[in-house]
Amino acid sequence: MADNKQLACMTCVPKGLCQGKGLVTLKEGAWANNPLAIQMLGICSALAVTNRLENSLVMGAALIFVCVGSNLIVSLLRKYTPHRIRMIAEVAIIATFVILFDQFLKAFYWDMSKQLGPYVGLIITNCIVMGRAEAFALQNPPMLSIVDGLANGIGYAVVLAIIGFFRELLGSGEIFGRTVLSADWYTPNQIMILAPGAFFALGIVIGIFNAIKGPEPEEKK
Amino acid sequence: MKGSVYTLGYAAVLGAVCAFLLTAAASFTAPYREANAEAEEALNILLALKVPLPAEISSKQVVKMRDENVQGKKRGDITTYVYSGAEANGKVLAVAIRFSGPGLWGPIKGFLALEPDMRTIRGITFYEQEETPGLGGEIAALWFREQFAGKSIVDADGKSGIIISSRGEPAPNKVDAITGATMTCDKVQAMLNEVIKSIVKEKQ
Repeated sequence: MADNKQLACMTCVPKGLCQGKGLVTLKEGAWANNPLAIQMLGICSALAVTNRLENSLVMGAALIFVCVGSNLIVSLLRKYTPHRIRMIAEVAIIATFVILFDQFLKAFYWDMSKQLGPYVGLIITNCIVMGRAEAFALQNPPMLSIVDGLANGIGYAVVLAIIGFFRELLGSGEIFGRTVLSADWYTPNQIMILAPGAFFALGIVIGIFNAIKGPEPEEKK
Repeated sequence: MKGSVYTLGYAAVLGAVCAFLLTAAASFTAPYREANAEAEEALNILLALKVPLPAEISSKQVVKMRDENVQGKKRGDITTYVYSGAEANGKVLAVAIRFSGPGLWGPIKGFLALEPDMRTIRGITFYEQEETPGLGGEIAALWFREQFAGKSIVDADGKSGIIISSRGEPAPNKVDAITGATMTCDKVQAMLNEVIKSIVKEKQ
């Protein structure tokens, strides 16, 4: 988390855009309002691609790229976008970023692209990206929107990396495809590779997140 | 009215900009993607023919290995890919035929490799498919493909064709279907029978 804070200040302090908001936004997105662990968004991809740590990291990078890019553009266009077609405009912007990333993977990381299969393309429908564009970028200036996109992207990527780490470790005894738990004394637990393992891992991560964060303060009516 | 014109104009401009960006990206990455696709195809010919491959192999090496070991030969309407390794002194070790057809979500393409007797299946691979991951997508999994090895493209009565089904008695030309992927299996069966028909026709 220390690194994230550094990043936030580097993004906004020199430009004087922070005004204390950058850090709050970052903390909100990456931790207090974590898109996966607290808001329960983007569960589908988090379950599907986390069977290996490498896949999880690439997927996290993809979401950071898309979220930052689409937040920036949506925020830049927020005063010009007609209210009636703002959602379709957001989808068009998001889809453009997603396809750009997909093309990049297909051209330079073919094996990774094969493993992630349709899930990169499905980022278009990821509620996190759309949610941030609609809830944040439409009302906030570009720099702050970038920070928000970064924060939510990191929040998603970190949870994915944690799940990917444990699923690969327990499921195949490997990390980054290298054997860590020797087959001599560790029998890989197949279920961690399969879908049920994803649910177990995600549930435990969400539980730990919420236990550390403490219960949600009740809203006063 | 003025609002509508602005909205339409905005949508048109945004659409045009996005389309331009995507076209630019697509044409920039096209040569890389084509090279990847060629390597993928080459790898699948080699895998279907069961050409021994080193554990680690780059995409350039794959294309080179295919060019060294496999010759494309046209026989009537079908193109066969003949595997005769350097050590085999020109003896035919296996023959692969490309097949393709519509899947459930998109086109399915692959290679069916036969032993020199042109009856027994040596291997099968799918190098392009967009079936449902975990269901129809399992056609590309090793367990499904390995079932085909040693099966015959002709049944006990000499009738040609392969059956992919979970029902009925085991037969020399029958493999198990994937539960929950009946549509994909039926379509794969249809496209395999199509290519088997053309092989049998060519043999006569």
